Amino acid sequence: MLLTTAALAAFCVLSLLLGAGDTAPMDALAALFGRGSEEATFVVHSLRAPRTLTGLIVGIALGCSGALLQAVARNPLAEPGLLGVSAGSAFAVALALLLGASAATLRVGVAQLGALAGCLCVLAAARLRGVGDDPVRLVLAGAALSGLLIALTSLLLLVDQRAADEIRFWVIGSVAGRNLEDLWAILPSLLLAVALVLIIARPLAALALGERVAVGLGHKPWLVRLLTVLAVALLVGAATAVAGPVAFVGLVVPFAARALAGPDIRRTLWLCLPLGPMMVIGADIVARLLVQPSEMPLGVLTALLGAPVLVMVVRARRLPSL
Amino acid sequence: MSAHIERIAKLASPPGSAVTAPPGLWLLRLGSDRALLVDKRALLAALALCSCLLAASVLSLCLGSVALTPAQVLPALIGKGDAMAIFVVQELRLARVAAGILTGAAFAVAGCLMQTLARNRLATPGIIGIDNGATAFAVASVVGIGVSIAPPALALVGAATATALAFGLAGGAGTRGYRFIVAGIGVGAIFGAGTQFMLARVAIDVANAAYPWTVGSLNARSGSAVATLAAGLAVGMTGALALSRALNVLRFSDSVALGLGIRVKACRYAALALAVLLSALAVAVAGPVGLVGLMGPEIARHLSSRRGVPIVSSALAGALVMVLADLAGRLILAPVEVPVGIITAVVGGPYLLWILIRKPAVA
Repeated sequence: MLLTTAALAAFCVLSLLLGAGDTAPMDALAALFGRGSEEATFVVHSLRAPRTLTGLIVGIALGCSGALLQAVARNPLAEPGLLGVSAGSAFAVALALLLGASAATLRVGVAQLGALAGCLCVLAAARLRGVGDDPVRLVLAGAALSGLLIALTSLLLLVDQRAADEIRFWVIGSVAGRNLEDLWAILPSLLLAVALVLIIARPLAALALGERVAVGLGHKPWLVRLLTVLAVALLVGAATAVAGPVAFVGLVVPFAARALAGPDIRRTLWLCLPLGPMMVIGADIVARLLVQPSEMPLGVLTALLGAPVLVMVVRARRLPSL
Repeated sequence: MSAHIERIAKLASPPGSAVTAPPGLWLLRLGSDRALLVDKRALLAALALCSCLLAASVLSLCLGSVALTPAQVLPALIGKGDAMAIFVVQELRLARVAAGILTGAAFAVAGCLMQTLARNRLATPGIIGIDNGATAFAVASVVGIGVSIAPPALALVGAATATALAFGLAGGAGTRGYRFIVAGIGVGAIFGAGTQFMLARVAIDVANAAYPWTVGSLNARSGSAVATLAAGLAVGMTGALALSRALNVLRFSDSVALGLGIRVKACRYAALALAVLLSALAVAVAGPVGLVGLMGPEIARHLSSRRGVPIVSSALAGALVMVLADLAGRLILAPVEVPVGIITAVVGGPYLLWILIRKPAVA
């Protein structure tokens, strides 16, 4: 935990020092301590700091939502992006744009509603006999749902060129160019989600031991599931509203956290806090540096990083049961 | 026809005594010592699909921004009637319908081959990332990485790369079922991300030009790609039909196929190569309209007999789906044209979910 937090701090500093605007790392370092040139100060404070902060929040939200979704679906492959939760939220935003919405707060609420609908679909599928038993089938069902929603989103964008232009970069997923107002807009829902997570962490760990054990310990499984889904929807909706659909963070981060901390959901969740932002900020740094002077979209890099992990998890002889 | 063609080299019974066909098959005698067994249901299914396809094609020629009656369209096909009708039918719609039929057939046959060799109804080229690989490479050739190779050739390279990755990562298709498919989804995600990346980097007008093509559309087709596809489809269909007997047996298990004298490995590789060829060339024309590769064989399997792998019926059903989806895309939001890939995804997505939820998908 300490080690990963230290690593995260290092990543944040690197993110402030490298890329996005041709300011040398040493200048940026000077600006950080308030002694740099005017240009460097602007770059660091107005461009890179919000960007790093966005990465921090998006990473926390996506990493934790992945861990929660995996716990509640009892499936190590359950990931908001793969299972269509992010696509649901993107579809909702496209629909809102089509109907003329533009305010940032409205966008967050709409994205969260879409994510909630996606989550409920996932949970319903996971409870079905046949689909729920086989982790891999759930992913397939999610891929089908996700493909359907993406097609519907494209349909909406075809109807409205203005929405298409506004959303073309957002759809790929990126933490660049977000201002602090966007972050303020998602703050209330993030706090609510954190409160929910604090409430459900213990019952969720009990639920991992089996439904009967959880009932015996005095928890209500359906209530725990409902609250978890609500928390996941709040987190994914907020992250998607800010950064667009960023896939695979919710898969890789809990996977790494479980490898480090073992199967207990409480410890996994704690570890997701530093690991999620580490992945997002790290991917963002690489995205800036790889094809200078232009940038790669963040969603592309996380997909490049996450797809091999997906394959690795699937290849493992026995999927770890949750 | 996808019926069994059996050569009965020397009829054991003396001439004159009745050799009866098994139930559900017709025995066509060819000379005194040869006979042809035709599966009734497969034949009827193929005929029915054929007539539906014909009707859909005529409908597609009639409807559009300028509505024509069949009485105007049919003479215009052979160059009679008024000049406007001839122009609309011959210059605009005929090529499009032909491209729809060819791509639909190619996607569906590729899907049918992949499903058979992986023994899983969900293992279609669209789902396991082959289409995405082909698209990524073809988009690379369009948005100009400075390569002057035609899209079909690059699409073929992309499809082959994606296939090799999916199979290599999953450790073969035969036994691992769903894991193979999820490995394919991962590979597809990588190539999809690559496509998005290329589109995000180019200017907006180039991206807009390539956009309908990445979701799958018959609008951006090029004549040379269609010609390549036609040649490829001829090769692919011939190959698939030649393999059909081996594939019929391969549906069961490797040991059964080995016992019946099928060279399992060679047969698998041949079928895989054909599937890759067909889907790559189809992607080069129409982009990734992947779900046709799922729907075509499914429809064919419902209609046709269960004795054999329904290759011909799959091709016909796939062509039918493609032509109808393209027609719907042109009409629904006219004058805006909805790419055919979006129509098939909206229709095929729920269908795929239904398959997943309803019954075990392993054939």
